[in-house]
Amino acid sequence: MPKAHTLATRRHKLGTALLTESVKYFAGWILAVIVLAVAVPLIVSQWRSIDISAWYVAANIGKYLVAIIAGGYVYTLLPILVAQGMTRREIATSMGIFALLWSAFIGALAIAGFLGEHALYGALDWRQAPQQGEEFDLVIGSFAHALEFAAIYPLAYLLYCTAGMLIGAAIYRSDGGWLVLLPVVPITLAVDDALSRADAWGPAWLVRFVSGVVEGWGVWSAVAAAVVVIAIGAWATRHLILNSPIRAKQA
Amino acid sequence: MFDDGTPIYRQIADQIKAEILNGSLEPGGKVMSTNQYASFFQINPATAQKAFRELVDEGVLYKQRGVGMFVAEDARDRLAGEFRARFFDDVLKPLVHEARQAGISLSDIIDYLKTQEGALK
Amino acid sequence: MSFSVSLRDVTLKYGDTEALSDVTLTLEAGKIHGLLGRNGAGKTTLLSLLAAFRKPTAGEVLVDGRPVWENVDVVSRVALIREGGDFDDTDTVESTIETGELRPSFDLDYALKLAERFEVPLDKKVNQLSRGKRSMLAAICGLAARAELTMFDEVHLGMDAPTRDAFYKELLAEYMDRPHTVILSTHLIDEVANYLEEVVIVDKGRVLRHDDVEAFQSMGATFTGPADAVDALAAGLEVLAEQRLGGTKSVTVASRLDAARRERAAAAGVEIGPVGLQDLFIHLTNPDRTGA
Repeated sequence: MPKAHTLATRRHKLGTALLTESVKYFAGWILAVIVLAVAVPLIVSQWRSIDISAWYVAANIGKYLVAIIAGGYVYTLLPILVAQGMTRREIATSMGIFALLWSAFIGALAIAGFLGEHALYGALDWRQAPQQGEEFDLVIGSFAHALEFAAIYPLAYLLYCTAGMLIGAAIYRSDGGWLVLLPVVPITLAVDDALSRADAWGPAWLVRFVSGVVEGWGVWSAVAAAVVVIAIGAWATRHLILNSPIRAKQA
Repeated sequence: MFDDGTPIYRQIADQIKAEILNGSLEPGGKVMSTNQYASFFQINPATAQKAFRELVDEGVLYKQRGVGMFVAEDARDRLAGEFRARFFDDVLKPLVHEARQAGISLSDIIDYLKTQEGALK
Repeated sequence: MSFSVSLRDVTLKYGDTEALSDVTLTLEAGKIHGLLGRNGAGKTTLLSLLAAFRKPTAGEVLVDGRPVWENVDVVSRVALIREGGDFDDTDTVESTIETGELRPSFDLDYALKLAERFEVPLDKKVNQLSRGKRSMLAAICGLAARAELTMFDEVHLGMDAPTRDAFYKELLAEYMDRPHTVILSTHLIDEVANYLEEVVIVDKGRVLRHDDVEAFQSMGATFTGPADAVDALAAGLEVLAEQRLGGTKSVTVASRLDAARRERAAAAGVEIGPVGLQDLFIHLTNPDRTGA
């Protein structure tokens, strides 16, 4: 935890400290995922040809993990930080800084992973594609293509991070907070679906529905939508944090 | 330690007076600071301060700024005088009463006091 | 620079229940205050408001003369230590202590020294600590925060008597070393009575009484002796409690005793004993007495 030399900067220091501690804490997990992303296709290739990007699987699972971690942080840290004499405005700012840094970090990992995987798959003549099937434009055929494919991930992670924090804050704020899932999940999946070339990951019926809604959206419209949704989500999260009473301890 | 009916600051003041009377605190001698008192007896320092303030008001102690609290030079004499004045009311009267309760006669008391006369000298 | 505390017409409602009703209370800076009350009386709610854990439904909460809500200059120097602490259970003790560095006044060396003295192992996870050690960790964090307003809400729960003693001793030493405002909320009233300068009794969401501790302690006395003598002495005084064992009677009254009455008691062979703050508290907050 940072030494708080002045009150003016402690919220920034906290945001960055949360990042460094998260990186340290999850380093093992991240390493394990990297190893699996290489090992699993290597093993599977003994029986069948590889036509799916393993890293794509990892990167997409990562979206949910990012959301859960972010939501968990807000839910558990809010009472602890208030107890340590921080204002809710400071806490919201720290969470925002963390969200940006964490999304950038995991996003950078994702990009690096796709590029690395492209090298590996290329060497082994495997098909690096997000889905099975013969849709031509979903196969990653070059490093440039891999970069283009992966570039969207930092923004996608920021989207899921925001969604997670919003849910975490809502659940902490009130028992009925779970209801916030009703708007947040479909909107998140819709924007994610629009951002990605492939389908978003979620319940099939829901994904089908949102895919229909964002059918035909170009990348830049999707990015704009993502930015707007993230901004609204951030505002809502901040609003919830600013108005959260700290719960009494259970006897 | 402090479980009489009287407030603690009064008990502290009485105790200091008793120590002055029996000689453990010399006139002109330094008294423990209020914080030392508070720490020793595990009480709020304000309570010790109140006791000291009373004693200063009564002229038993005086304060030397930056140095500490001291026993007034004439404290022992003054306290002894007060004690003598109240001896009969505060000590003898209850004593006689208790003796009566225990069924001890006044003449028994007088006899006892006579034997003590030798010891006092 | 100790913080004073001021609540003005403060009400807090949880749904339909009023946890605090129209409370106006001022606590002077730099003193050790006792906050006493039965379960559910509103002590914890009151302290939560002072630490900006919650906002009141109505009224003002001022600390150091300033509104406390979202006021970084104030809250960063206010510490509320709740029973069991506000920790991440999966953290280690050391990591938990280090969280305190968010506070500008936090003293890490002091905290580590206390952890060693009170035998709270730094490398253990918080959820592995016994209840007593956990409470001690919370107390350590409170002491090391070196706040201008430190509030301990039943932090002693789970601590055995020697541990509590050690905590009070350390608290007193810290207080004398660095005068600040302390509020102790506790059920173990007689244990802390000697440490208090002022006492606030909260009952059913209202301030029942707020006075110097000496005023409370001289509020009453207990007469013990022959029944008729005791009755005679207690005649006309407000009786808080009576006990009889054969020919001996013990009566607790809520009155200051003047010298004359003391003399009569001595003459009648009646012993005068104190009424402990705890006993007084029980009587004052007795539902039969307050008529609800």
